[in-house]
Amino acid sequence: MAANVNGPVAHHFNNMGQQLATVRMGMWMFMATEILFFGGAFCAYAVYRLMYPKDFEAGSAALNVGIASVNTFLLLFSSLTITLAIRAAYTSRTKALGRYLCLTTLLGVAFLGLKAREYHMDYEEGLIPNVSTLSPEAKEKHAARMAALAAEGDRLEAEAKTKSGSEAAELRERGIELKARAAQPPVAFNENVKVVLSHNKAFKGRPLDEQTYDVGTPSAANAHDYDPFKVQLFFMFYYSMTGLHVLHMIIGVGLLTWQYVLTRRGFFDHNARFVYIEVMSLYWHFVDMVWMFLMPLLYLTGPHTAGEAIEMFKKSVGMTGGH
Amino acid sequence: MDHDHHPKTDVHTEEAVVHDVAAPGPTFVAFFFIVTLAALALFVGFSDGLGPWKLTANLAIACVQAGILAFYLMDLRQADKVTWLIAASGVFWTSLFFLFTLTDYLTRYLGVL
Amino acid sequence: MAVDEVPIPKLDYTPQTIPEPEPTPEQARTRRNYLNHTTSVLSWLLTVDHKRIGLMYLVAVTVFFLFGGIAAGLVRVNLVSPHGAILELDQYNKAFTAHGTIMLFLFLIPVIPGVLGNFFVPMMIGAKDMAFPKLNLASFYVWAIGASFFLWQLIVGGLDPGWTLYPPYSTKYSHTNVLYAGLGIFITGFSSILTGLNIIATVHKMRCPGMSWGRMPLFIWAMYATSVIQLLATPVLAVTVTMAAVEKVFGVGIFDPTIGGDPILFQHMFWFYSHPAVYIMILPGMGVINEVLTCFSRKNIFGYQAVAWSSVGIALVGFLVWGHHMFLAGQGYYLGMVFAFLTMLVAVPSAIKVFNWTATLYGGSISFPAPMIHAIGFIVLFTIGGLTGLYLGTMGTDIHLHDTYFVIAHFHFTMVGGMMFAWQAGLHFWWPKMTGKMYSDFWSRLAAIVMITGFALTFLPQFVAGFQGMPRRYPNYPPEFQVYNILSTAGATIQGFGYLMPVFYLTASLFFGRAAGNNPWKATGLEWQVPSPPDAHNFKDIPEVYFGPYEYGVPDGLRLVADGHLGKKAVHANGAHTGAGVTNGS
Repeated sequence: MAANVNGPVAHHFNNMGQQLATVRMGMWMFMATEILFFGGAFCAYAVYRLMYPKDFEAGSAALNVGIASVNTFLLLFSSLTITLAIRAAYTSRTKALGRYLCLTTLLGVAFLGLKAREYHMDYEEGLIPNVSTLSPEAKEKHAARMAALAAEGDRLEAEAKTKSGSEAAELRERGIELKARAAQPPVAFNENVKVVLSHNKAFKGRPLDEQTYDVGTPSAANAHDYDPFKVQLFFMFYYSMTGLHVLHMIIGVGLLTWQYVLTRRGFFDHNARFVYIEVMSLYWHFVDMVWMFLMPLLYLTGPHTAGEAIEMFKKSVGMTGGH
Repeated sequence: MDHDHHPKTDVHTEEAVVHDVAAPGPTFVAFFFIVTLAALALFVGFSDGLGPWKLTANLAIACVQAGILAFYLMDLRQADKVTWLIAASGVFWTSLFFLFTLTDYLTRYLGVL
Repeated sequence: MAVDEVPIPKLDYTPQTIPEPEPTPEQARTRRNYLNHTTSVLSWLLTVDHKRIGLMYLVAVTVFFLFGGIAAGLVRVNLVSPHGAILELDQYNKAFTAHGTIMLFLFLIPVIPGVLGNFFVPMMIGAKDMAFPKLNLASFYVWAIGASFFLWQLIVGGLDPGWTLYPPYSTKYSHTNVLYAGLGIFITGFSSILTGLNIIATVHKMRCPGMSWGRMPLFIWAMYATSVIQLLATPVLAVTVTMAAVEKVFGVGIFDPTIGGDPILFQHMFWFYSHPAVYIMILPGMGVINEVLTCFSRKNIFGYQAVAWSSVGIALVGFLVWGHHMFLAGQGYYLGMVFAFLTMLVAVPSAIKVFNWTATLYGGSISFPAPMIHAIGFIVLFTIGGLTGLYLGTMGTDIHLHDTYFVIAHFHFTMVGGMMFAWQAGLHFWWPKMTGKMYSDFWSRLAAIVMITGFALTFLPQFVAGFQGMPRRYPNYPPEFQVYNILSTAGATIQGFGYLMPVFYLTASLFFGRAAGNNPWKATGLEWQVPSPPDAHNFKDIPEVYFGPYEYGVPDGLRLVADGHLGKKAVHANGAHTGAGVTNGS
């Protein structure tokens, strides 16, 4: 059904059809640039995922998949509401238009709110590479491990005294190595992420640096073992890509709010202006599309269980008794 | 200007001044499929069975979701050829970037053959 | 214009549409054109008129070019002595980085699209303005503010990793203003995207009746191809700069080897934009050459289709060759072989253009006003530049030549010998149209010759120096290279004078130049069929195009229109057309 569109035609266009087609074309071109913008980041991610699959799985296992899942549905629903908004504008139902725009904006704000909570929790858990300090639990665990290393180093050195020749030299070297290792300062992020991963029951990997150096850990290779330094790389992608997505959403929410204000002022009473809602929806759908790819690549790479996801979400919004 | 009465015909008398804006029916159906696929993706993500195929499955689901979104909710189905060209160009050029860059990392360590 | 409203002049060429009559002296004195129809400062600052925006770009771009030239001067003077004559090591790094970044991002990329593209794309296709006039203005401000911010960062903090900003130096070890300078580049890139978007929409949607794709001037084809590159390549630069900025802010990042990152990934992402960027720079220049060459040899372009499609071909294949900047960086050599092969391929469309231009000249009635001297200079110098690129695009020879002055000479031949001279050709060709004034014939021709001479003297020795092994970006060098450096600096001085000369005689033409008239060069394009300077709305009525863009060899083709063989028959009483373009019969 093609309605009668009425509205002012800009001075440099010949007719409404030309104007509408040009506006749509402009937005689609902007979408193409956005595909390439995020595409570049996705390609970089793909490169490192290819090179470090196990470490990326580990990184993913440390993320809050509960919030991410809820956010997915919020965003999908908002795509529906903004599509309905176009139809309302087209058929001159400005009240419905206002309501749909409002709903879309609220869903977007909810997404952003949960994301902010997620970032805050990452901060509390000390998962910002090079910036975070040791969390209390990590500090404890690290201290205990280092003490064990130092003790083992002492023991080896003592044992070396009871042996002779090359065997003694070997034992003594190993003892010195362990004590030097115990004296090294911790890398905050690495220790923090080890703690977070230990809380994920579905994740079976162990940190490689503990494999090589530590005492008492089984020597059998585990296919999920990870290098915490490369998990930092994963987290840089996590922050960059979700950060860029958040930035786009903030802009989108801002534009939606502005369109809502315009609706209240009667700007869309000329129903030819539905094209601006349409163009906004293209942007919003694109942001949704990015999330569709981003979410599985970042959050569903590593092992999680549904139960754990629900627990994590509850904890994030404070629905459980306490931390 | 006083000469504006002159014929304003242009080569772009648009074929349809406005095409049909998304009717509610297909919109809801598309939305339903997208949400179902999202749930499926979560199911696959939380399960252990697929092993190395989990990535492929998740990406495939995302591609189908994106396709439904573009086709139905972004109105690509009714759009003109230029719009299709623009959307396809975005995807095509991104895939060029992927192709060459990934080839570097896949072949770099192969040694002299 | 309606056929029966205006007398059709007898011409020895055929313009694309019926020319508007020359204003009478009375009309010339009182007419309101785009320059003087409003005079307040705000009417300029808030204009959405693409022509005024073009002029604003012209002023800004010239100022930035001056800064880039000063940086070049510092570099060249320093290199007079093998020990570095005037700069310390870190100052030298800042000087060549400033020269590169300013010239690329603040001059070469925006100049023709911003000035000539903005001004003439709508006029050449018979539109009243660009598709998105307000976006056009926003685009200008985004660029101007980003560029000024960037320049300010260069001045207060300096930037020293080279214009290529390779990590880990740029992200971890440099003490200069990488973050804010990167932000400046990001902002100017955004403007580049929006300009490209605007031009593509304009060319698709705003052509006047009769202006089919096959009748568009080749400048438009070139601008279209450029805009496609701008649209698709620049976002990748944006995300690259963003990722590098994240690395700078956090202290670790995705290019950081200590956490498993790969600096070569930056190079892949960077060059995915930056190689097509050089085509953003050169394609508009090639577009200008088509216009100038046909006009001053009074001949139709040879092989319109070939030239048009070669622009598209350069745009496409130009995206597939970026790895030739990375042959020695650590890129896998299987991929290197692929890139080397594709680099050979991308030379083909450029070569097609040069052959077609040569064939256009052959048998033409050639005259040599300043635009033509620049255009011929372009063809010769760009060809040399392009040929030397082949040595660099071959992996084997690149091992010897990479990061030497051979590379520097190569890209200066294409970018300065090519693009800069194409810009001068375009500026001088369209100056009478933009301002309504003619400049001094003598001084303009002299300046062209001075520029070309200075340029050749500057960069030819650099080929030799580079081939003999002088590395680039070095502030001091072994004494055996000194003679080449001195020749080069002498040439640079001459070039400097050459670039200053137009500033003077073009400005002088504004005050003392004689009125140019509608069509001083007797050109065929739509923009030449209206008074100079044009009206605020470009045309009295939307023109109807009857002919192709370069019908120089066809005398008095408009007689066909007057006699009703073309188009007129289809005009009905109420002014509606049944169809546009060539119709036969009476």
